[in-house]
Amino acid sequence: MTNKEKFQLVENYIIEHQNDYYRLAFSYVKNKENALDIIQDSIFKALNSIDRLEEERYIKTWFYRIVVNTAIDYIRKHGRMQAMDDDILHTFLPEQHDLEKDYDLYEAIDHLNEPYKTIIVLRFFEDLKIDEIAVIQSENSNTIKTRLYAALRKLRVNMEEKVEL
Amino acid sequence: MKNLQDAKKKYEEVEIPKELNNIVKNSIKEAKRKQKKQSPIKQWGIGLVAAAALFTTSVNVSPALAQSLATVPLLGQFVQVVTFQAIKLDKGTYNADLKTPNVTGLENKELEQMLNEKYITENEALYEDFQNEIKELDEAGGGHLGVTSTYEVVTDTEDILSISRYEVNTVGSSSTTMRTDTIDKKNQILITLPSLFKDDAYIEVISTYLKDEMAKQMANDPDKIYWIDDQEEIGFEFETIRPDQTFSITADHKLTISFDKYEIAPGYMGVLTFEIPTEVISEYLISDYYIK
Repeated sequence: MTNKEKFQLVENYIIEHQNDYYRLAFSYVKNKENALDIIQDSIFKALNSIDRLEEERYIKTWFYRIVVNTAIDYIRKHGRMQAMDDDILHTFLPEQHDLEKDYDLYEAIDHLNEPYKTIIVLRFFEDLKIDEIAVIQSENSNTIKTRLYAALRKLRVNMEEKVEL
Repeated sequence: MKNLQDAKKKYEEVEIPKELNNIVKNSIKEAKRKQKKQSPIKQWGIGLVAAAALFTTSVNVSPALAQSLATVPLLGQFVQVVTFQAIKLDKGTYNADLKTPNVTGLENKELEQMLNEKYITENEALYEDFQNEIKELDEAGGGHLGVTSTYEVVTDTEDILSISRYEVNTVGSSSTTMRTDTIDKKNQILITLPSLFKDDAYIEVISTYLKDEMAKQMANDPDKIYWIDDQEEIGFEFETIRPDQTFSITADHKLTISFDKYEIAPGYMGVLTFEIPTEVISEYLISDYYIK
């Protein structure tokens, strides 16, 4: 595959799946401008490092990896602000023991630490396979499975719900 | 909401902004354009013809334009940089503002002409791209698009003149590239990065220094992010500088190395310039004439 063919392939792939990746980016930053920034950054990174894409069948995991890492980079820079917000919040709110129970699951996922959050999002929202997530996170599949269980426990998702891992 | 299906629904309900498609397409185009730049010969050929044609017409057609050639700070006694040509376009959501520098007063006319032709070529190519992008964007239903190019005299001493040109493309968020030319005013030659060093070893030496420096800065300041190896990331980490990496020489004879926005770091880090301590490179320099 020449670089030119690869470029065309990646270009088509990105255009075709732009909505999925936008949602993924949005799930990290929760606002339009930053999500668009992440998408733009990711596209530059992908197309500038096209040499590293070895085979066509890796496009999906390769590009997921770029978007996830770009988003986490972004959070690393802006995320601390959110953490502070929570601290301030807790000093003002009376103690609430039931808080976690009432959390809505979507928000609870957002409060998970990395890599748990990404694993949950990729597995359940983006419907990726465990093996694919393993490639994206450079881990083996068993590690991802273990983390997925741990994340679900943290979320207190009722395991009897027959969650398909 | 207790189950994953509901959460997933919420995840999928996120509204896709209508500018997403344009941003995606323009980012791809921008990346393509950058790749094309890496084969300069082709671009030079087409650019020159376009530049000559457009420039001649614009000066002939608009006496106002010819008059507006503003003189920017007087440099040395003879060598100076003026704004040769300014293109401005302001059409609703499309904005272009291009300034082309022009070096005058060099005795080495060949060098002077070479530089000036290059500057014109750069801006004409930029303008042409911009026109094409407008056309495509119009067909796609419109959007925001901007391009700015400007220049700055970074160093002007008795010996050295260094001019940086910046190019900013705005599509949603912006990308910036910077190129710098450094001229030895006394000897009337254009200094290139390889010409300062005995051999290629400088590439490794400077790259190693920069990686250490970036790692240090990241350790001290969590807001700083550079793409260097230890992040085990996406596969385009900074490894080495290009042999002709953008560089400049400061008034106090220090070497600086610059990177474009997105070249080695996330976009918010912008254009990055590092000063290289002379002791890092001194044994590789041909002489201490320029860099001390």
